[in-house]
Amino acid sequence: MVNVVKGVLVECDQAMKQFLLHLDETMALGCRFIIQNLDDTHLFISADILTTLQSRIDDLMDQVSFPLVEKDA
Amino acid sequence: MAGPKKFKKDNDSKKWKKRKKEDDDDYYDDDTNDGMEGDGVPDAAKKNVETAETGVLEDEFGAKDYRPQMDLKTDHSSRPLWVAPNGHIFLESFSPVYKHAHDFLIAISEPVCRPEHIHEYKLTAYSLYAAVSVGLQTHDIIEYLKRLSKTTVPDGIIEFIKLCTLSYGKVKLVLKHNRYFVESPFPEVLQKMLKDPVVQQCRLRRDAAEGEGEGEENVDANGFITTVNDKKNVPQFGANVPKPTPGTSGDSQPAAGADAPLGEPKEGEPVPEDITTFYDKIDKEEEDEDEAVLKTVSFEVNQEKIEVLQKRCIELEHPLLAEYDFRNDTVNPDINIDLKPSAVLRPYQEKSLRKMFGNGRARSGVIVLPCGAGKSLVGVTSCCTVRKRALVLCNSGVSVEQWKQQFKMWSTADDSMICRFTSEAKDKPMGCGILITTYSMITHTQKRSWEAEQTMKWLQEQEWGIMVLDEVHTIPAKMFRRVLTIVQSHCKLGLTATLLREDDKIADLNFLIGPKLYEANWLELQKRGFIARVQCAEVWCPMTPEFYREYLVCKTCKKLLLYVMNPNKFRATQFLIRYHERRGDKTIVFSDNVFALKHYAIKMNKPYIHGPTSQSERIQILQNFKFNPKVNTIFVSKVADTSFDLPEANVLIQISSHGGSRRQEAQRLGRILRAKKGAIAEEYNAFFYTLVSQDTLEMSYSRKRQRFLINQGYAYKVITRLAGMEEEPDLFYGTREDQGQLLQQVLAANDMDAEEERVPGEGPRPGPSGFRRVGNMGSMSGADDAVYYEYRKSILSNIKHPLFKKFRS
Repeated sequence: MVNVVKGVLVECDQAMKQFLLHLDETMALGCRFIIQNLDDTHLFISADILTTLQSRIDDLMDQVSFPLVEKDA
Repeated sequence: MAGPKKFKKDNDSKKWKKRKKEDDDDYYDDDTNDGMEGDGVPDAAKKNVETAETGVLEDEFGAKDYRPQMDLKTDHSSRPLWVAPNGHIFLESFSPVYKHAHDFLIAISEPVCRPEHIHEYKLTAYSLYAAVSVGLQTHDIIEYLKRLSKTTVPDGIIEFIKLCTLSYGKVKLVLKHNRYFVESPFPEVLQKMLKDPVVQQCRLRRDAAEGEGEGEENVDANGFITTVNDKKNVPQFGANVPKPTPGTSGDSQPAAGADAPLGEPKEGEPVPEDITTFYDKIDKEEEDEDEAVLKTVSFEVNQEKIEVLQKRCIELEHPLLAEYDFRNDTVNPDINIDLKPSAVLRPYQEKSLRKMFGNGRARSGVIVLPCGAGKSLVGVTSCCTVRKRALVLCNSGVSVEQWKQQFKMWSTADDSMICRFTSEAKDKPMGCGILITTYSMITHTQKRSWEAEQTMKWLQEQEWGIMVLDEVHTIPAKMFRRVLTIVQSHCKLGLTATLLREDDKIADLNFLIGPKLYEANWLELQKRGFIARVQCAEVWCPMTPEFYREYLVCKTCKKLLLYVMNPNKFRATQFLIRYHERRGDKTIVFSDNVFALKHYAIKMNKPYIHGPTSQSERIQILQNFKFNPKVNTIFVSKVADTSFDLPEANVLIQISSHGGSRRQEAQRLGRILRAKKGAIAEEYNAFFYTLVSQDTLEMSYSRKRQRFLINQGYAYKVITRLAGMEEEPDLFYGTREDQGQLLQQVLAANDMDAEEERVPGEGPRPGPSGFRRVGNMGSMSGADDAVYYEYRKSILSNIKHPLFKKFRS
């Protein structure tokens, strides 16, 4: 029986790889998505999860940046 | 960066707000009781122009379309201002009339943001109040604004200016010949006030025959004393200030030499005639408003009823401006101090002082100058000008000593005239002219020693000529009110570098001390070499994978420790220290986190100072840093944030900081801002590095902290890779094993280590009080190194050993 899974090769810095591994291990996106851990900067992940993953990373970036244009509350 | 940087607002904006709030609750604001808020603030001051605008079109970026409300003038290109209906004013700093407009805007509005080309200002009730108190008139403000503006000035703004200025500054409370007078150039205002029964009660009537002294005093039908005022006595500061013109003090040329030549328009650039002529007029008025024969009416008030009167006047929307006619004060003895001839005031220092002593009397207010720009000289000069007993209040014992040195350096005061009143040093206060103490010493409520008690008593009995409040932004309103109830002083001068609080309580100061008299432009001082040219840089250090992994899973307080102890940050610090040591620079490294401070310092074998470091050790370290060529780097915690005078340092590296506090950032920059001698050739002569661990919370804090300095016109350079760091031999924590060991240490550290240092006197931090202390049973019960004393004085003194018995007792 042959299983075909569509995958995407991700290249990122080492810290970001840890973030992806973290998401994978805690099943934060509902399932595990890393197919193969290649080396320090490369991962092979499942293609289905891509959009959710992208928004997740945006969230992270939002958290660590401060909006320069202040909204008057 | 792995992902695109986007600012998404929708899904987690709530989370954002919450976090932001937490950051803002820093423990600088130990002013939690709001009961008094709004007291002593006139109604007009609570109005806000910004909320007044309605129905303005906004585009998708938040830009507002004001075209229907404002018409462009035909000669707009030669006029420098836009006045927006929401009270914001934009000034082109490249305009030929920039200087005119700038002086005027500083007087009437608050600077919001001053980068190189376009400056933003904002009209507020407070700023207009300040404008009036330094002598500007409503119609002048409006007229000049109209002339400077590229467009027509919106009606709302004119109304706002009128509303805020018409009632302000019309009446003054003047102390003259030791009698209090309510004075005004407008008889009708006084008449209106006297109709009020409360004011009437406060009034003190004397027989007209008693009217003595200065000028021609006439008592008219209403019982007003009319004074024709024609004195020409604007005080001169400094013994030998070079004057641009040999004219008298009444010359229209401002005594500060710098602003005169800049006022000249360049050829080829048309300056509308009306702007220059009007500028001269305003300038003249500001300089010597008493020059013109000024007719004022006044009535005397009962000294005991001053408080009642002041309160009532605020309710009547005519707040009293307090002025102190120190020359005519004969009850309080003069103290014999003068500025030394060697003390030369810089133009901006003189300008700020002229705002304070503009009409030969002393006004109360706040002067804002950057750190290192010579605030203490301004304080000393004002004391020397008033020449009455002076009280200087500052934050810490260290700065008490520094103020004493400043007085001895700039003025003729000697040890016998200066009295320090701190827990360590208690000089004899009787008969001295200048008392220097700390806020906490004055407001102390617990039991004092007998000596201190006597000093306090003496202090309360005195009538002080001037009170200088150093670092005025740090004191909470509650504490300040306590000071005011204890100390009787005729005028108050607040000094600060950053009139800024995370909790926006700064407005209170306006009515507690007085309006902001002067605020310097940092970039301008930098350009003219009065403060150091600083290169600000933010160095991004990538987290190592192991540390980032732990960072993602651990709880918040440990996160701080992880991103501060990031090995890459350590290496970057080490690299920067070495780089600057080779250049012969003196470096201070700041860390709020004591665990990190100790670890960094011990590992790199450098001296460090933090809270528990003893006074003698501190002095030893600082002396070594100053004079020993082998000690070029010291590590300090936030105890050194303010008032540690380290004039030698020109490099500052910040490895951990207090959340998003803008003030701390500015104060820290101030440590290296003192002008450096002999280094003008270089583009920058001071460096300010902030090390940030990438992809962590620190990034957002860093952005937040920078806002204030960016608004002052500083630009931060982001460095993602330090050139030459790879080639640098034997930096620590290069291998995975070393990094792993460091990680183990960090994880083994307890929660207390992850906290920032707490400095006594900063007050309790909001939130859960009490700590979990980790330690063994022995140390809990005090067995480690506690020393036990026996107190049995009374018995011991009676029963003496036979050997020590005196013979004929």
